[in-house]
Amino acid sequence: MTTPQVHHLFHAPIADHSFSTDKQTLAVARENNVELYQQSGNKFALSDELKGHEKTVTSVDIAPNSGRIVTCSQDRNAYVWEKTPSGWKPTLVLLRINRAATFVRWSPSEQKFAVGSGARVIAVCYFEEENDWWISKHLKKPIRSTITTLAWHPNSVLLAAGSTDSHARVFSSFIKGIDTRPEPSAWGERLPFNTICGEYLNDTAGWIQGVAFSPSGNALAFTGHDSSVTVVYPSAPEQPPRAMLNISTRMLPLNSLIWNGETEIIAAGHDCEPFRFRGDENGWQLAGSLENKAGDAGGAREESALNMFRQMDLKGQASADTKLKSTHQNTVNTIRVHEEANGAVSSFSTSGVDGRVVVWSA
Amino acid sequence: MSQLNYRTINIDALDPESSTNFPMESLLPANLPQAASASDAASAATQVRQMLRGGDPEGALQTVLDTAPLGGDDRAKEVHLATVIDVLQGIRQGEMTRILEGVCSGDGGAERADCLMKYLYKGMSSSASGSGAQSPKKSVSPQATGFSQIQARNLGEGGGGQQMSVLLSWHEKLVEIAGTGSIVRVMTDRRTV
Repeated sequence: MTTPQVHHLFHAPIADHSFSTDKQTLAVARENNVELYQQSGNKFALSDELKGHEKTVTSVDIAPNSGRIVTCSQDRNAYVWEKTPSGWKPTLVLLRINRAATFVRWSPSEQKFAVGSGARVIAVCYFEEENDWWISKHLKKPIRSTITTLAWHPNSVLLAAGSTDSHARVFSSFIKGIDTRPEPSAWGERLPFNTICGEYLNDTAGWIQGVAFSPSGNALAFTGHDSSVTVVYPSAPEQPPRAMLNISTRMLPLNSLIWNGETEIIAAGHDCEPFRFRGDENGWQLAGSLENKAGDAGGAREESALNMFRQMDLKGQASADTKLKSTHQNTVNTIRVHEEANGAVSSFSTSGVDGRVVVWSA
Repeated sequence: MSQLNYRTINIDALDPESSTNFPMESLLPANLPQAASASDAASAATQVRQMLRGGDPEGALQTVLDTAPLGGDDRAKEVHLATVIDVLQGIRQGEMTRILEGVCSGDGGAERADCLMKYLYKGMSSSASGSGAQSPKKSVSPQATGFSQIQARNLGEGGGGQQMSVLLSWHEKLVEIAGTGSIVRVMTDRRTV
């Protein structure tokens, strides 16, 4: 296993990160701004700042093809940033929400994006040519609390959302004139806007922190504050799912997850390291950590006697035990696919509260 | 002449959007077992105590956790809590690890571990009031939040001290087996014991 590439950008939490398609640009949400980093050699150097939000930026996403960046913030706004010769220009999105915007993701078609919020709605936003602005339609119906996370189905119509009411839901976000009618699937056949294609609750009912569709779109995984991962295989529209498998773990809660093919999930969270889960419809299991801790133990540095006594004098202990053995030194907030081919992930990236962005080989 | 002190009006109760009006029952899974009554809990208690006397502490612990009244009323839950604590106190320190490994493995072992963790926390939150009259409940927040597992903490002085030390040593052993995930699930799970 190759060692992960660690980019320690700054000493502040990273709420969300996103790489451009060519992996040369890295957008990172830091406090009220989004910082853009450009790769130079092995390192990422600060190249630009997207300033405009007045409160903490909660989420950022770069559209892979168009290169547009969408950001959202606790100031209840979202902006779409476009690169012009004179710099990045923001366009305000009419979200019509009265609470913080918590999460944003482009649809795979890049015609739409969805913004989750504390106002118990998901704003599905699309561009209106005539007026030259981004407007939104609200997914509202059974949501009882803040939306914490969103994930798009490959068909750009179905949208999975996790909420602090402990439910993971699958909605249709079909917008006439923007979307083409999707192929019927196990999630549903006719899919007008705000159709609820699935609503799932764990036995242990934690806040949902991460959701993801499998590469085929025929399975949904979600993780929450109950330290478990749940995988749902739908059977047919309006029917109970074919299988709903819950893997409760002995670890601290996981915050974010991605699929690697149809039989593997990688998730990371409060234990500061990514874990691999493997399985299929008949059962899922934790397969272990992706962290290579053996190397760390061998690399324990030799302390000189002088250094040891100096430490004892300064701090009253021989060696300060303040470093975690994991690559991340604090909670991981976001895990994203970095490089993939046909659903098989070859590398993925994580970012967390410790100000690091790490690229791992899967 | 009516005098209304507007400062004392609980405006959250009047706001349908307020989080205090969150429907907590929406967090209960659909497969919750039938509500058990206090007499069900009492008959389970007799059965379990018999097993304990018969020298089968592992079976007793397993049975008492499998029959937990997750859907029961408060009275049933109280009776069952007393049974669980009796079982836990009836097992010698040296045997704890062996018995826990047996109970927390096999079919449904993870659920039993989570269930035992719930009882440990419930036992620790209510140990002193078990012997005497129920002490007036001190609520942490000014309004009832709906989180019934958060109760005034008791530091286990007096009669509860010994029971507390038993619960703490069970807690230590259980965390070794079921991990921190089990503690987190005590906080999230609405199927209270």
